[in-house]
Amino acid sequence: MRQKSRYREFCTYAGTDYSLFATIALSFAFSLLVWFLTHGQFAFPKAVSEQFHFAQSINNGEKWLQKNLREYTRAVSSVIGAILESIELFLWFKPWPIIVIAIGLPALAYGGLRLALLAVFGVMFWGMMDMWDPAMSTLALMGVSVVFSIFLGVIVGVMCSQNDLVEAFVKPILDTMQTMPAFVYLLPAIIFFGIGGPSATMAIIIYAMPPVVRLTNLGIRQVPETTIESAQSYGTTRMQMLTKVQLPQALPSIMLGVNQTIMMALGLAVLATFIGAGGLGEEVWKALRKLKVGWSLEGGLCIVFMAIIFDRLSLAMSKPASSGLLVDPSQMTFRLLPQKWVHWAPARMVEIGIGWVWDFVVRCSGFVVHIACAGVCWPLEKVNKTVGQSVRRWMRAHGILVFGLLLILAILAWDTWVAKIGYFPKSLQFTLRGPVDNAVDWLAVNPTFIGFTKGLRAFIYLYVLNPLDKFIVGLPWWYVLAVFFVVVWRSVGIGFAFVTVAMLLFTGLAGLWGITMYTLASTLASITICLLFGLPLGILSAQSKVVDSVLTPILDAMQTMPAFVYLIPVLMFFGGNPVTAVIATVIYAIPPMIRMTKLGLQQLPEEINEVSRMFGSTSLQTLLKVKLPMASPSIMLGVNQAVVMALAMQVITPLVAGLGLGKEVFHAMNTADTGRGLVAGIGIVLLAIVLDRLTQAWTRNQRYALGL
Amino acid sequence: MKMLNFLTAGAVALGIAASAQAGGVLTAPEADWTGGQVTCRVLQFILEDEMGYKVKRITMPSGPGVREGIRAGDLDFACESWPSYDSTKEKYVKEWGGDGSVAKLGDVGIIGASSYYVPRYLVEGADAPAPDLKTIADLNRYVDLFKTLESGGKGRLLGCPAASWECEDTKRMEMLGINFIAAELGAETAHWAEMKAAFARKEPFVAYAWEPHWIHAALDLVALELPAFDKDKWPATGWAKDVPYNYGRPDLIKTDPEAAQMIINSSLSNNEQAAMILAIDVDGRDMDEVVREWMAANESVWRAWIPGSVN
Repeated sequence: MRQKSRYREFCTYAGTDYSLFATIALSFAFSLLVWFLTHGQFAFPKAVSEQFHFAQSINNGEKWLQKNLREYTRAVSSVIGAILESIELFLWFKPWPIIVIAIGLPALAYGGLRLALLAVFGVMFWGMMDMWDPAMSTLALMGVSVVFSIFLGVIVGVMCSQNDLVEAFVKPILDTMQTMPAFVYLLPAIIFFGIGGPSATMAIIIYAMPPVVRLTNLGIRQVPETTIESAQSYGTTRMQMLTKVQLPQALPSIMLGVNQTIMMALGLAVLATFIGAGGLGEEVWKALRKLKVGWSLEGGLCIVFMAIIFDRLSLAMSKPASSGLLVDPSQMTFRLLPQKWVHWAPARMVEIGIGWVWDFVVRCSGFVVHIACAGVCWPLEKVNKTVGQSVRRWMRAHGILVFGLLLILAILAWDTWVAKIGYFPKSLQFTLRGPVDNAVDWLAVNPTFIGFTKGLRAFIYLYVLNPLDKFIVGLPWWYVLAVFFVVVWRSVGIGFAFVTVAMLLFTGLAGLWGITMYTLASTLASITICLLFGLPLGILSAQSKVVDSVLTPILDAMQTMPAFVYLIPVLMFFGGNPVTAVIATVIYAIPPMIRMTKLGLQQLPEEINEVSRMFGSTSLQTLLKVKLPMASPSIMLGVNQAVVMALAMQVITPLVAGLGLGKEVFHAMNTADTGRGLVAGIGIVLLAIVLDRLTQAWTRNQRYALGL
Repeated sequence: MKMLNFLTAGAVALGIAASAQAGGVLTAPEADWTGGQVTCRVLQFILEDEMGYKVKRITMPSGPGVREGIRAGDLDFACESWPSYDSTKEKYVKEWGGDGSVAKLGDVGIIGASSYYVPRYLVEGADAPAPDLKTIADLNRYVDLFKTLESGGKGRLLGCPAASWECEDTKRMEMLGINFIAAELGAETAHWAEMKAAFARKEPFVAYAWEPHWIHAALDLVALELPAFDKDKWPATGWAKDVPYNYGRPDLIKTDPEAAQMIINSSLSNNEQAAMILAIDVDGRDMDEVVREWMAANESVWRAWIPGSVN
């Protein structure tokens, strides 16, 4: 204790404690020394790793399962397949306006006019790109997978919330499910569930279920003790407590989980093609194979719109108070334009117009629902009064739903008896292929642009990737283990430090030490670049509204756009080499970095600016010395998310000459070697878990140090 | 009269029964590359138009997934497996010592040839930077031309995109004493994308490729001369000729003997396939249209593949 404080004292200069920096600098210098002295002599001993045959035994296990389990899994998959097919056929052959209404009306009810317009445009966009049928296939696949995920996820989540042991058992499984690259289990999925939809459903459930489990568990556990106690005092049973108190209270949290599940499920839209599930991912894949950037962008944008619609819709549904229909008509509330423009006369005029239309539509729909209600309930009340009344109450309360159903029935009737509505009108279709392909071709030979890409590539290779690669891969394995042990011990705890060492030893024993270290190096390189570009962009968008409003939709698209879409242009601009893989990873992982930096800065109280100005500091000083340190927990959280995303990207980067564990997984998939793929996949999972816990702990410690 | 009616009804019933027996749905994966798609499209049209089948096409990457699908019975047949690029043939196909869960259904007819290629602008023309680059040994004279940031003083050659293809590029460079490293891009798509971009910028590159392939329709490439294939000296030689084959479910020959026999009989030459690839990839024409055109012009060729045909 005493020594530590003296060390700290020694490191304190002009009132600031630099001990953390000093420690990092000293240990880095020491590591460099170790690296210099040993210089790659201590690769993980082959004699040891050759004694272990993880991959072999996994393959044997798979063979055994194939003999004994397949009948049952095939039965499951035929049920899922039948459900999928009937939904798909329904979506394909029913008139397209029905789908527009079925998605647009809930958006209107929960998110108001703005969301409704976005939803309608997004749905129409599928048709406009001539991708209506694939979009319907994806919709069916996503719908079925998400429903299964929610169903299973809520059950497991409730089980976790009731018992700490179950929770402790399930948590690492959830971590694995989320970080295990899907490529590892795609081939076994084909073996056990067949080609097409059912396999894809299984894969999506594995990947997308964890958030529902986590947030159901969290939501139930966060129900206040007093609520539970007061319910207990009324003598509720455990089952009643769960269904009447805990689950309803946890609903917002569960809905947030549903939102995340939907987003993750859509993230697998392209991978579903790898097992022949078709849909929008198929368009992206076919385009990719032919290097047609414009075509794949169209498919990608359709997926982006699907993701954005369901993201916004499920978020709006998780806080239903903001319904546009409940707005008091005497108050001037803007439905479409930003509320800030309320003092601007033209905007008011526009909104008054919208208001008239709105009122008219609401009255009409109210009238229709009223008539329908009378038509249905009057005869019902004759038969049984209570049933009739409750039906009437329900119909009144769910006016929008009833109106939507009536509208859909009307369209169906029109389609069947009056005139066939048919396929999405050709006149509304347009294409992005020509312009996008031309733009990419033009950029690929533009000397200025290619000069820039070559410069960036050289910079990343010479100053980031290559040094990190040489340094980390060259360190002796026992030294890396020791460093991980100490760092994890100091920041997370001694227990997890042992787990970390065991995990890293596993990769060594599996013969993947060098590859794992390379993956670590390239992940660190990606994170470095993310910080280098993400921090300034985050600061800029916290300072300037213009930058923010330009960046937000771009970040939205970057996060939901399948990586496959931008791999080809990135490759054409940067060439095929490990640096390109790093750049692709940065594109995928940088959005949370920018967002969390912005969020961290924006959440700081206004007074900070004034106080530091009173002390005479410039705004740059305020930013560097006050605001950034205070926002550091949030930035650290951004790093945490970026790390996990960068590791998830590892299996995609082999498509652009990426190396490391991802390539190992990729090759295993191409040679039908499940065992090899699984071992490499476990390597990625282990890295992800270790780095995730580490960065989370740093976030926590930073928060604690700042007294937050 | 009555008798005649009865006979006609019987004949019609027999006819229906016969066509029902011949028909059925066959499932086949759509190949990733134009050549494979053309081959499968020809088979599909014959099966659908002449033999009463309906072919359901599934898009998925050609690889072990397709083999597993065939083994499980989800897929009935698939087109064009190139033996050199399939490291799983030893696991599935009897002809290579596999367990026979995937059956070979005759050769495609095309003969594949692999080599290293350079763009024509590099070796021909007044200001060509490497006019004397003809054989693989000549590469050593142009190391500086092919050097990149990451290649560490050596030249850079775009090798086989996937290690599982067993091209042995690195070993070949070593054995032949070529001062080049072989970059492996990991996926075929990446390989073509890099070639296409470098070609557009008129940059020097030397890359692995094979024929027939659409890349030759898109870019003007010249093959380097390699020592002729020799099993004992491999991989210090060029590649052996590749004989792609069609494949499918082992019991297809029992359940659908005529369809299986037709696939086995079918044969497309390099020239025929290359002409169709050219029309599709360079002229940008619709694949169905191009294939139908070929079928209309060569009816006697493909009719002979159908078992029991009179030709």
